[in-house]
Amino acid sequence: MPIKILVTAKRVEDYESKIKVNAQGNGIVLEGLKYKINPFDEIGVEEALRLVAKHGGGEVVVASVGTKDVHEQLRHALAMGATRAIWVNHAGPLDQMTVAGCLQKLIEKEKPDLAILGKQAIDDDQNQVGQYLAEWLGWSQATFASKEESLESEAEKSKTPALQLSADAKTLTVIREVDGGLETLECSMPCVVTTDLRLNQPRYASLPGIMKAKSKPIEEHTPATLGVDATPKITVTKMEHPPARKAGIKVPDVATLMDKLKNEAKVI
Amino acid sequence: MTLPDAFRAALTADFPADFASSDAADLVTYGKDWTKVFTPAPSLLVRPRSTDEVSRFLKLASAHGVAVVPSGGRTGLSGGAVAAKGEVVLSLERMRAMEPVDTLAMTVRVQAGAVTEAVHHHCARDGLFWPVDFASKGSSQVGGNIATNAGGVRVIRYGLTRNWVLGLQVVTPGGEVLELNGALEKNNTGVDLRQLFIGSEGILGVITEATLKLTRLPEKVDVFLFAVNDLQAVLALFEEARRGPFTVMAYEFFTDRCSRRLEAHRKIRPPFEAPTSHAVLLEVEDAKPGALDGWLASLFERGLVNDGTLAADSDQAKFLWSLREGISESLSATGLPHKNDISLPISGLKAFCDELEALLAKGYPGWELCLFGHIGDGNLHVNIMKPEAMDKAAFLERTHACDADVFALVKAHRGSISAEHGIGLLKRDFLSYSRTPVELALMRALKQTFDPKDLLNPGKVL
Repeated sequence: MPIKILVTAKRVEDYESKIKVNAQGNGIVLEGLKYKINPFDEIGVEEALRLVAKHGGGEVVVASVGTKDVHEQLRHALAMGATRAIWVNHAGPLDQMTVAGCLQKLIEKEKPDLAILGKQAIDDDQNQVGQYLAEWLGWSQATFASKEESLESEAEKSKTPALQLSADAKTLTVIREVDGGLETLECSMPCVVTTDLRLNQPRYASLPGIMKAKSKPIEEHTPATLGVDATPKITVTKMEHPPARKAGIKVPDVATLMDKLKNEAKVI
Repeated sequence: MTLPDAFRAALTADFPADFASSDAADLVTYGKDWTKVFTPAPSLLVRPRSTDEVSRFLKLASAHGVAVVPSGGRTGLSGGAVAAKGEVVLSLERMRAMEPVDTLAMTVRVQAGAVTEAVHHHCARDGLFWPVDFASKGSSQVGGNIATNAGGVRVIRYGLTRNWVLGLQVVTPGGEVLELNGALEKNNTGVDLRQLFIGSEGILGVITEATLKLTRLPEKVDVFLFAVNDLQAVLALFEEARRGPFTVMAYEFFTDRCSRRLEAHRKIRPPFEAPTSHAVLLEVEDAKPGALDGWLASLFERGLVNDGTLAADSDQAKFLWSLREGISESLSATGLPHKNDISLPISGLKAFCDELEALLAKGYPGWELCLFGHIGDGNLHVNIMKPEAMDKAAFLERTHACDADVFALVKAHRGSISAEHGIGLLKRDFLSYSRTPVELALMRALKQTFDPKDLLNPGKVL
C-alpha cells in the first residue's frame, strides 16, 4: 500500500567550519561558512525512502524554511531520492514555533501518512519542532527513533527500515532511545517521528540521482501564504564562546600525578 | 660500532648535557622508520638545537670517523633513515622553529624539524599553503620531505616537493654550512647545488633550514568517487578529467581486492549500488557548476562510468578519502603485504598491469595483487599479499625473486622502481633497473665529492 511521508531538510552550518561569535555578540560570523543538511534530518530522509521502498512506493515530500539558499539542502534530499520539495521562503530569524507552524500548515495541505523530522538541528540543538508539530496537529508522536540492530548489521546493509508499519497501515511501531536503554512504542497513524543518530546510515546521493534532482519540482510558499505569523517569539540577546580550556601540564612521574590528583584537583 | 672515547669526551665537553642520549628505548625508536625489515641498532642519538650544533657535531664525527644517519619524522618507507649498523642518529626534531610567513613573497623560512602539518597550520592563517601533502603529514618533517623529494596525493596538481623549495641551508658531512639560493625565484648562476640535495636521501648533507615556496589555499574543492569497469576505463576517465571544467587536485584509484580488505578491517565500503572492480577518487578545485553537469551527464551517456557520487559535505569528502587512505593500513591488518611503489609512463600502464597479472599468475600462483595509487601520476602501489597457507619466511625469501621479475618488467616498460618512496636500503640492490651504469658512476662520484669518508648515511641509495 503506497504511503506518503513528509520529511524536513534544515540548512545548518557544517561543523568543519570555524564558528565565531560576531562583533555585536548576538550571532555568529556568517562569512566563509559552509553549510549542509541537518544530519538528523538526513536520517529522516533515509528512513522515509526505505519505508516507501518497502511498502510498494508512494511519495517522499521534503520541506524546508529559509532563503533561497535552502534549495541546496532540498536538492540534496531530492538527489537522495525524495519525490518533490516544498520551500517556505522566509528571510530573517526563525524560531521553533514558526517552523512548526509552517510544517503544520503544509501537512494539513499535503495530508501525508507520516512526518519524519530530525530530533533536533545541530545549529541550535533545540529539540522542539517535532513535539510542537505533533501537539498542534493532534497526532501521536515518537521522538528519538532508533533501532536494536547496529549500523554494521545486515539489516542496515540491505537498507531495511527500522520503523515498522502494520499491514493495515494503521499503526507504526517505533523503537526509541531513552535513558539507559530502548523503549518500544506503538503509535496510531498518522504520527510524527523524530530521528536519533543510530536509526540508520543515510545513503550517498548518486551522480545520476544528483542530476535527476535538478529537474524535480520545488514548490514555493511563504509563511504569509500559509497563514503563519513568522514574528519570532524568542530573540537571541547574547552569544559567547565557552571559556577556553586551560593548557595541560606534564608531570615527571606517576607519584606526582597521584599527588596532584589527590591534593590539587581533589578528584581521587 | 663502538664510539671512540675521545669522541664521547668531546661530546660531553662541547655540547649541552641533553644533546646526546644512549637510552635503549630512544635508540630503538630513533633507529628506524616505517619499514619493518631492519633491526634498529644505533650507537647514540643526538638532537641538536641549532645549525651551529649540527655543524660542530658533523666536524667532530668526521674527525673521529663516526658514521651519522640524519633523521626527521621517520615515516619513510624504504629504510633511508634506518640506523642498523651502529651509526649515530642525528635527529632534527628540536629544530622546528618557523619564521613569520612573508605574504608578499609567499614564502616561509622554517627549520628542518618543523612538522609538515605544523607548517600547514602556520601558513593557513594567511590563507597560504605549502602543497606537500600526504597521509603521514602529522609526523613527517620538512627536512625529510625535502631530502626524499616527497610525493603524495596532490602531486598531479602541484608537482613534487622539489617545486616548492626556494632556498636550502645544508651542512656538509665535513661541517661546512651552505646557504643555497636564499629566497630567489630566479638565479641563473651555474649549477644549482640546491637541487642535488633535494631527493638525495641524506647521503650528501644534512638539511637544516629551508625557504619554502607557498601557494594560496584551494577554495572550493569537490570530491567524486566513480565506479568503472576496468583499468582501461580508469585511464579513459583520467583523460576526460584532465579536460574537465575544473582543475584536477587528485586522481586516485583502487581495485575491489583493496576494497574487500578495507571492508574486512575498517568496516567501510564504497557507497555504490553494486560492488565495482575499479574505483576512482577524483578531487577537483573550482568546478564550474553549469559545465560540470554537462561533463558528468556525458560520462554516463557514453558509458565511461557505471556509478558515482559527489561528497555533499566535508564529512562525506572525508569518508570518500578514507576509502583510499585506509587501504595501506587495511592490507597490513588483514595479511602480510609486500610493497612496491613504481611509476610508469601513463600510456603504458594498461599493458604493464596486464603483463604484471600474467607474471604473477604464472610464476607466483595464489599471490594476490592489490593495486592502488596515484594513477594520475603514473604511480602504482603494487602490493602483493602473502598467501594464507604460505610460511612467512618462505614468502619473504621468494619476494626477492618476485621483485627482480617485477622490476625487469618495469624496466622493459621504461618505468621507475621507486616513484616516491625512495631507494634507501630497501631498493638499493635494484637501483640498476632504473639507472644506467654511467648514471650510477656519476652518483658515486658525487657522493665521493661531498662525503669522501663515506660517513653520512652510509650504505643508503648507492
